[in-house]
Amino acid sequence: MRGAWRIVARREFVERGRDRGFIISTAITLLVLVGVIVVSSILNRGTRYDLAVVGEPSASMGRDVATGARALGIQVELVHPPDEAAAERAVRDGDVDAALLDGARILVRSSPPDQLVAVIQVVALQERSRAALVRSGLSESEVAAALAQPPLPVRALEPLGPQQRENAAVAFVGVLALYGQLFAYGYWVAAGVAEEKASRVVEVLLATISPSQLLRGKILGIGLLGLAQLLLIGAVGLGAAQAVGALTFPSGAVGTIGIVLAWFVLGFFFYAGLFAVAGSIVTRQEDLQTTMTPLTIVIVASFFVGINAVRDPGSTLATVASLLPPSAPLVMPSRIVLGDAGAWSILASAALSVAATATLIPVATTIYSRAVLRSGRVRLRQVLRSERS
Amino acid sequence: MLELIGLSRRFGHVVALDDVSFEVAPGQIVGFVGPNGAGKTTAMRIVLGVLTPDAGRVRWRGRSVDAAARRRFGYLPEERGLYPKMRVMDQLVYFGRLHGLEPGEARRQADRTAQLLGVADRGRDRAEALSLGNQQRVQLAAALVHRPELLVLDEPFSGLDPVGVDVLSSVLREQASEGVPVVFSSHQLELVERLCESVVLIHRGRVVAAGRIPDLRAADARRLVRVEVAGAPRAWWAELHGVRVAEPLPEGAILELVDRTSEEEVLDAARRAGEVRHFSVIQPSLTEIFRRAVGA
Repeated sequence: MRGAWRIVARREFVERGRDRGFIISTAITLLVLVGVIVVSSILNRGTRYDLAVVGEPSASMGRDVATGARALGIQVELVHPPDEAAAERAVRDGDVDAALLDGARILVRSSPPDQLVAVIQVVALQERSRAALVRSGLSESEVAAALAQPPLPVRALEPLGPQQRENAAVAFVGVLALYGQLFAYGYWVAAGVAEEKASRVVEVLLATISPSQLLRGKILGIGLLGLAQLLLIGAVGLGAAQAVGALTFPSGAVGTIGIVLAWFVLGFFFYAGLFAVAGSIVTRQEDLQTTMTPLTIVIVASFFVGINAVRDPGSTLATVASLLPPSAPLVMPSRIVLGDAGAWSILASAALSVAATATLIPVATTIYSRAVLRSGRVRLRQVLRSERS
Repeated sequence: MLELIGLSRRFGHVVALDDVSFEVAPGQIVGFVGPNGAGKTTAMRIVLGVLTPDAGRVRWRGRSVDAAARRRFGYLPEERGLYPKMRVMDQLVYFGRLHGLEPGEARRQADRTAQLLGVADRGRDRAEALSLGNQQRVQLAAALVHRPELLVLDEPFSGLDPVGVDVLSSVLREQASEGVPVVFSSHQLELVERLCESVVLIHRGRVVAAGRIPDLRAADARRLVRVEVAGAPRAWWAELHGVRVAEPLPEGAILELVDRTSEEEVLDAARRAGEVRHFSVIQPSLTEIFRRAVGA
């Protein structure tokens, strides 16, 4: 029957999707994700000050302070107490971080908030310079021209824009997510194959549909669930980050999620056939760890290269690893996000993955169909030599 | 009509099947009988395409069996297989779908077969939560869910309690009465005798006897008597000439009469030995026929 794999895929998707362990672990992942985003945004919001201003000169200076502080990424809220006594109370109670009295004195409780005080001092200095210049007989416009000096230029030897910093963080999360996802869903393919073999249900299935349809359905169903889970995690993460204003460049994050999804697909299909083979040669699910070891080693090694690539995307190791199909899914995404991979190398890496997968899947399917109906631990060599089960 | 034609299969140096041929006609229940390792399972797996033969072929309705034909077969493998963590009704629907049923029809048929085998009330349970006997019933339901055109059942009665045996027997009779050819393997020869009109006896990969049970009996010209005597010395029949023990029984034996020994002579000897509880002239049982066929 054509399309039997669709029925198989649907079962894999539905049965695993409503598995209680799966639902709980997804919920926990989402909770942790939202929690991390909210907590880190609260911690990052630290630079916000409340400044009490008393008297008209203070009020206008306060406005200048707030404007100047914003340029430094500091938020200053102005509070207007009726008199000095009220301002002092507010400082003492910790309702405000500092009070500016008559534009002439700064009042703090104990240790002055350095950044805020520095901004006030700069504004005050400018204000008093202006007054002094006016007193010395210069016109308002001359004073304004004299004071409107451009800030000193800053040249960074290794510039790192805020977007890049944000990208590195997102890339790190991306590598982590890909690693977890490739492992979890690869394991599910292996465990699913081993379960069918161990419970002997595979004989009933193979009396009805071909091994290649069974394997295709299993891989596609599980892969689709992995993709859906990633999509959900990405959407919730993005939504939470957006809600608390943690992202300065949300479009960059959307792009990263897209890249992670694409490389999950490439990586999952590359590994899925191999995991299926690992599952088909065991008798009991407990033996899976052993047969999966080679795959585990490759994925863990790729993960470490991927983590390194977040810090140093241009290294030779990262460049090479981002092209090889086994490691590309864990290395290439960071290189793309960090702007280190050219269009050609991205295309080449994807093409290599697709080609390798296209070569591997038929081989894996053959081994799988020979091994899965044999009882007992099957040696790979034995399966490769024999023509049929 | 299912035809197995000259099937042979080796596993390494072991010959599992050696030129096995037989057929199963529509509406016929055929018992496939033989000791462990005789080749029953191998033959059935070849019919279902799970194994390929070294030689020979399988024909269904006059044509070589292909995947499309097999999808309309119902198969119960020797080693049972259900998804342990999947709900019973979901599995039945799933198997129905794999056999080509539309979703709605698959659900209806799953309900029907679950009811037929008396597991409808367990539909929402996971398979692993059921007793082995009930798992067996679910397995049978899975083999029947798509209203198969042919039933191939490997040891369907093993693991069933007496009630289960009755349920399954009536299900198989019903299937046969609808014209479905049924072939099943079994060790329980009395059961086969009760249920089947025809049998295929297989031993060491070869068919040693096949045909209708009455015909096999008729071909067995032995004269057999069943005698049970209370309080008799052991082997009291030893004094008689022309008597062989076909099968020892707790209080007597099934004796085969050879040469010109008459039934009356045996009865007289039994009377002399003790109090005769049972005396009958019998036809050879399937067990007898089988023993003779394999020369044991």
